[in-house]
Amino acid sequence: MKIRRILTAITGIAQEVIGVLSGVLAVMLVLNILEVQTVFNVPPELLPLYLLILGLFSLFSVISGYFLIREGRE
Amino acid sequence: MANEKKHGLSRAIIIGLGGAIGFEIFALLNYAYFDLAGPSMISALFFCGIINLITMLSYSELSAALPEVGGEYTYTKVAFGGFISFMAGCLRWLASVFGGALAAVVFVNQLGVLFSVFAPSIQDLVLVNASLLIVGLVVILIVLSIRGVEEATTLIVAAFLAIFVIFLAMSLGYTLAPQNIVPEASPSSLAVFFATAAYLFPMFVGMRALVTGAPQIKNPGKNVPRALILSTVLLTVVYLGVAYVAVGAVPLEMAVTGDELPLLNLAASAIMGPIGAILFALAGIIASVSSVGTAMTVQSSILGGMSRDGYLPKALLKVHRRFGTRYIAIIGSSLFVVFFGISGAVEFLGYAASFGSLLVFALVNFSLIQLRRKMPRLDRPFKAPFYPLTPIAGIIMSVLLLTFPVILRDVNAESALLSSLGLVAIVLVTYYLRMVKREVDFNRLRVAVGGICFGAGVTLIVLTPVIAPPSLFIIMILVGLVSILAGILNILVSARKID
Repeated sequence: MKIRRILTAITGIAQEVIGVLSGVLAVMLVLNILEVQTVFNVPPELLPLYLLILGLFSLFSVISGYFLIREGRE
Repeated sequence: MANEKKHGLSRAIIIGLGGAIGFEIFALLNYAYFDLAGPSMISALFFCGIINLITMLSYSELSAALPEVGGEYTYTKVAFGGFISFMAGCLRWLASVFGGALAAVVFVNQLGVLFSVFAPSIQDLVLVNASLLIVGLVVILIVLSIRGVEEATTLIVAAFLAIFVIFLAMSLGYTLAPQNIVPEASPSSLAVFFATAAYLFPMFVGMRALVTGAPQIKNPGKNVPRALILSTVLLTVVYLGVAYVAVGAVPLEMAVTGDELPLLNLAASAIMGPIGAILFALAGIIASVSSVGTAMTVQSSILGGMSRDGYLPKALLKVHRRFGTRYIAIIGSSLFVVFFGISGAVEFLGYAASFGSLLVFALVNFSLIQLRRKMPRLDRPFKAPFYPLTPIAGIIMSVLLLTFPVILRDVNAESALLSSLGLVAIVLVTYYLRMVKREVDFNRLRVAVGGICFGAGVTLIVLTPVIAPPSLFIIMILVGLVSILAGILNILVSARKID
């Protein structure tokens, strides 16, 4: 059970990091920081879709990661 | 309440026009004319007017029979019950979010147009800092208590009508004869025609503001239907006149010359000179600011209504002590407006606002049919003529407009539809979670989130070989694997607890 708890906590932390990074990437795309729109070859007309996908992925990753970290600490 | 002042027919028409005449005409005509249909955009506008008129007949019957506050939400609730009304409320909210975001983008564009006349260097500054301006505009409107909306509406409607009448009157001095305003009778032309109509549709949907204002109208059973029909006809005539002159004054080739001014501003400049350009830019700015404010108020009202019925957290009902507004609901909705507004994608937002409204229109028409069957003895001061043809025609036309832009493979329409579907999926999950027993809410939420993460992880791993550049291949596979593992862990633990 201890191994499973550790695995749960590590997965949770990894998901939190992924979620936060996805959110940061979404903000960078919106503001075109470091020319990321060009780097990732994002056409302007598809920008809202990219933002939505990244935003949702970030949101669900953070929520899921939180649940797993909580489970790992119980 | 007994002393509350009630409005007559003329005021009701102004409310209807005030809801519909707005910033959309400054934003939506460009793409429709330069990129989609060309001069046959005028026919698409006429088609939109017809659809709006047909659905307004359904609205008229329903608002006269059920004059309570709530509009579409109330009609669908009485006709179908909780789930459909929840959907209608959410779709209305979505359309309002996309509409508000579009208004914020138009605000920045028109500000740029205004400065292009006086100081081109400031215009560049405006366009470069568009995101910042949109955030600033929304924050200011959050902070301000939105008061005196009624008087502002009357003024804005009067000013708009005056500007459009002057524009049309001055155009009489020119020989304007736009060609090809009727689309060709070929499948591809008709597909473009329907896609254009879908894109232009948000120009009309604000008319239903009259329905929400029905309790403030004298003798609503008689005056609201009349005002709805009269204002729809008046609005269609004004829009057709303005579009006809604009298309006549600005040849299609202007798009090739790289002139980036909106169609209406170009036409105003051609017909009325620099004064026209300034006048229309000012009108665009006022209309868009007003629309962002209205969108935020409408959103807080919709979220408040659904929160009152237990679909959303009660925190959304909290009223600010000083301003008397639902500040949490306003701030929550405003985040979405900012999120989509700073993307600056006018075409995407136009389609997205249209899709939400068209679905609501279809639901209203379904509600009319259902209520005629379910409650045949309901007192109906106004009855939609030619029943059941009118609601059926409204449903068919709404579905046509929803599907054709996607069939046409318009990338803006596709991404708008996907985004709307994504948000609707979240709405459905929310409904499911709110409606189950509270003690298992948390674990069901974990199962739902786990399922989403698992699905996202599998999708990512399947798509990575196709879409990922070599430099990101390993990272994306790892992210996919973590998501799958997290999904499995969340589902396993929670499913056991639910059992």
